[in-house]
Amino acid sequence: MIFWEKDIETLQRSGIHKLQVEKLNQTITIAQNSLYYDKLFKQKGIKPGTIKNIEEITKLPFTTKQDLRDHFPYGFLTVDRRDVVRLHSSSGTTGNPTVIFHTASDLKNWANLVARSLFTAGIRDTDVFQNICGYGLFTGGLGFQYGIERLGCLSIPAGAGNSLRQIKLMQDYGTTAAHAIPSYLNRLYDVFKELNLDPKRDTQLHTFVIGAEPHTEEQRRRIEEMFGVKAYNSFGLSEMNGPGVAFECTFQNGLHIWEDAFIVEIVDPETLEPVPHGEVGELVMTTLDRIAMPLIRYRTRDLTRFLPGDCPCGRTHYRLDRITGRTDDMFIVKGCNIFPMQIEGVLMKIPEAGSNYLITIENINDNDELIIQVEVKREWFSGDLAKLDNLTRLMAHKVRDEVLVKPIIKLVEPGSLPQSEGKAVRVIDKRKIL
Amino acid sequence: MAFQVSVFLENKIGHLERITSVLRAAGINIRAMTLSHSTQGWGILNLIVSNPQLACETLSDNKFSATLREIAVIEMEDHPGGLDDLLKKIAAAEINFTNAYGRIVSPGKTAYLAIDVEDIGNCLEKLKRAGLKLIPDNDVYGNGNH
Ligand SMILES: [Zn+2]
Repeated sequence: MIFWEKDIETLQRSGIHKLQVEKLNQTITIAQNSLYYDKLFKQKGIKPGTIKNIEEITKLPFTTKQDLRDHFPYGFLTVDRRDVVRLHSSSGTTGNPTVIFHTASDLKNWANLVARSLFTAGIRDTDVFQNICGYGLFTGGLGFQYGIERLGCLSIPAGAGNSLRQIKLMQDYGTTAAHAIPSYLNRLYDVFKELNLDPKRDTQLHTFVIGAEPHTEEQRRRIEEMFGVKAYNSFGLSEMNGPGVAFECTFQNGLHIWEDAFIVEIVDPETLEPVPHGEVGELVMTTLDRIAMPLIRYRTRDLTRFLPGDCPCGRTHYRLDRITGRTDDMFIVKGCNIFPMQIEGVLMKIPEAGSNYLITIENINDNDELIIQVEVKREWFSGDLAKLDNLTRLMAHKVRDEVLVKPIIKLVEPGSLPQSEGKAVRVIDKRKIL
Repeated sequence: MAFQVSVFLENKIGHLERITSVLRAAGINIRAMTLSHSTQGWGILNLIVSNPQLACETLSDNKFSATLREIAVIEMEDHPGGLDDLLKKIAAAEINFTNAYGRIVSPGKTAYLAIDVEDIGNCLEKLKRAGLKLIPDNDVYGNGNH
């Protein structure tokens, strides 16, 4: 059996659309109970039953992160507060945090989507699953925890950091599958090496679930090689619950996004019109199962595209390409639009380049300069100045070929770049500080 | 065969001192050093030390990029023209080196010149043919008198 819910996962496209229209009208009914949507719908004349076919979703207004912040904390809540059982919240470094409330049934539906996602990646109830990620307000902790339990794995709620303990847990309980942030796995591997352990030989790991920060195909392949596992891409965002939004199947050819739970659109971030199928644009999502806090046409700011064609696994839900960046990640240097992922893609193809890097954009003598600090892998260091000099030149050329701006490459000592427990900081734009 | 320890080093205040204090803590004596800098804020530090294997391991344990490189350490005389004589012989033997640094062993008598070359095997062969005297490893590392 390769399906968690065969009927839903293999539903014909027409069936998916029918289900979505039905659930969308229900969602409009529920959303009316919130202060925010009640006012908005009255203004725009939107009523339950307004939507007759899926294309008509474009009649509905978008919801933005700013809308959530402006109506903090309860403006989007549709139910009595006594029916809310949990909240997750993003750290609001600027302004109000983004908070999402859940009823008990919301949590149940979410756990089911995570379980379906993990099952899709080949994880079964016989697995020992270590969740290497922060619990608390961050959705990756409890989100995966409930999904792992729903699936029936033995769960190890390991939390983030403390690599020695992570390795000990893996060895003590024979961990077979784990979830972690990709940048953390590079560090974890270093600790394995320092202990003279080889994860391939000294653990029973066979599957990793990696997500929460964008990463390239090259980085995935590196992780698979280092640990001797299959690594599956997970996509989620806290506004859409958290993990369990879109997941790779064992064919690793894009992430099936669960269209029975979300309506997925890809729009041009400038015009907000839908882009032709297969073209890159901003991901816009509507929740279909959420009671406490439904969101309609939420602009995620993530850039991706639908992958054309059918997946050999038999699932009919569309596949998303890996996230190429965020509309707010993009930076402009010398008139060129650059995404950090493009630079990572280039660096990861150069074997001498370490997995840690930091991009800084700085105004030097009235010129915007793209500075890339990159670690040289210790095993490639030969003590030969000329070789390293050539390496920096090669890196600079390859990056320029990709992003059209010639960078300044600065080699740095291993471990000298800032490392965080959470998402790695990859870009510092010093121009903004001025 | 003598080894130097080569370490990747960022050109920043205090970074060189971090290396020397790590080696000091491991009880390693630094006998000679040279620093080659690239134009991009980093360089390579080459060291001749009392125990190169231990030095390299200690530095690696402390997260430095360190490696052992084989070098040729040639005897020269410590008087005016001593280096000139030696370099003439090295040139006549057609040995091309990428880095060189010297150390006095006993003032007024002997000194040595350490050279870093692309092809060490070939270089040693040529030095032998040119009649140049290599310094024994123990003398290079300063362990000979113990
Ligand atoms: Zn598939």
